[in-house]
Amino acid sequence: MSTMSLPVAPVRRLRRAWLMQITLVPLVLLGVWEVWAVLAGDSHAPAPTRVIESFIELVAQGGLIGATVESLGRVVSGFAVALVLGVVLGILMGSNRWVRNLLDPIVESFRPVAPMALLPLAILWLGAGTPAAVSIVAYAAFFPLLINTVHGVSRVDRKLVLAARTMGVPRWRILTKVVLPASLPAVLLGSRLAMGVAWTAIVAAELGVGAKSGGGGSGGIGAMMFVFYAYNVDLNAIVVCMIVVGVVALLIDRLFRFAEHRLMPWRT
Amino acid sequence: MAITVNNVQQHAADRGARAIGAFTARAVPPAGSEAVAAPTAQAATALLRRLAATRTVTALCAFALFVGLWYGVSAWINNRILVPSPTQVATALVQLGASGELFTHALVSTSRLGMSLIASLVLAVPLGFAMGMNEKLNAYLDPVVELLRPISGIAWIPIGLFIFGVGDTLPVFIMVYVAFFPLLLNTIAGVRNVDRKLIDAARTMGVRRTPMLLHVVVPAALPTIMVGFRLAFAGAWSAIIAAELIGAPSGLGFAIEWYRELLMSPKMFAFIVLIGIVGYVCDLLLRALQRVLTPWAEGTGLA
Repeated sequence: MSTMSLPVAPVRRLRRAWLMQITLVPLVLLGVWEVWAVLAGDSHAPAPTRVIESFIELVAQGGLIGATVESLGRVVSGFAVALVLGVVLGILMGSNRWVRNLLDPIVESFRPVAPMALLPLAILWLGAGTPAAVSIVAYAAFFPLLINTVHGVSRVDRKLVLAARTMGVPRWRILTKVVLPASLPAVLLGSRLAMGVAWTAIVAAELGVGAKSGGGGSGGIGAMMFVFYAYNVDLNAIVVCMIVVGVVALLIDRLFRFAEHRLMPWRT
Repeated sequence: MAITVNNVQQHAADRGARAIGAFTARAVPPAGSEAVAAPTAQAATALLRRLAATRTVTALCAFALFVGLWYGVSAWINNRILVPSPTQVATALVQLGASGELFTHALVSTSRLGMSLIASLVLAVPLGFAMGMNEKLNAYLDPVVELLRPISGIAWIPIGLFIFGVGDTLPVFIMVYVAFFPLLLNTIAGVRNVDRKLIDAARTMGVRRTPMLLHVVVPAALPTIMVGFRLAFAGAWSAIIAAELIGAPSGLGFAIEWYRELLMSPKMFAFIVLIGIVGYVCDLLLRALQRVLTPWAEGTGLA
């Protein structure tokens, strides 16, 4: 008993010190924010306690969860389109020098065109709704996926491909058994980056669609924020939405890191 | 390894081209003397092959294909508002350039971009140096950074609109926020990854704190900071379009949305093209700056 308790105490003390270290500044900042809101005297000024109240209310109504799920659904469908296009084109460009030389200039000239610059075009073509938002997400997610896949495929050890070819393995089998597994790390990295960009893009697109369709008929977390800004003027609810945006971004990132770790345990 | 394999393939391709050239020259006898024509035809095909292999020629082919495709689609849809043809967009570009509108909007956006990049440099780099060199400070401030970082700059637009209103301040605020995190994190990483041996060597030679910072830490951390700066630019460039589109009365993002509402699609396309060009030129300038400021980073993966 006593031999057990000896090492536990310092560990516990260390953990307590660590907990204090990581929570001190955020708690102080939250306190300052709360005091500022109380001193401001305006009952609409955002404050941590009011944000929590607002969060509970929004969750109870079901609007917040519904909007988040709707946005996530759009992100997933846009990401799926980008994944198929990006990986197929990436394999073509990575394995064939001629295709790469031909398509590289076009890809490079589209890359500096920010996804949001195409939102007016998407609204013009597809109307202010889900398809416009999804296409912006797909466009934003396409570039990290393509570039990482090209990089991964072109870095596949030539010796492996040549060895397989010497042994008479058909082209298709070389692709599925040699090239794809070897470039998997790059594709997964591209997926994680693409998903982060996609989540930012959906918030931007929904905000833009909401702002430009005059009334946020499209739904989603971004449109919800815009409605709270333009119609209800509920700052606490906007802060709730911002926190949800941050938490979802963090969860997506962790999920993809976990997948990378699980699928490729050999690279920590 | 890859280079030698490529060379071998190139060599084989050349030989193949020469063989094909010789074969066609022989199979289709020209009107003139065969003895003279064969080598010229051979040289011509070889030249063609080599031209096709150069990057500029394939790039030009790619653009020609793209513009051709665009022409085809615009002719097929035959709707000026939905898909204007490349010539209409080019005319719009010239018109906007002649009236000076192109340059005013580009200037507004780039000056906002410049201002916010400078502001975030001033905020993030000193803080990054402090956090990179002081473990205690880093332990206390890092949680705040990690709490704020996942909230994208775009998500600040509604509350920013409320605080600053529609105008110049909103895009600048959003961009400073967006550019801050890559700069800060890269500065911290750069300062922390300075080779300990360099610092120890300098310390052994009695170098004091300030010269150590200026002559050892800054040069060693600068390549990583420059990478952070380019990431910051890329993030800010996408954020400015969103911020201007939603909450500014001027700038490139405002202009495309303005011309969409007027259904003047050629001008809208012209501004989209301009956004691409300005973004590309800024990236080229940053790359040049990177080469000038940190020539020692060449070939380390940070260039």
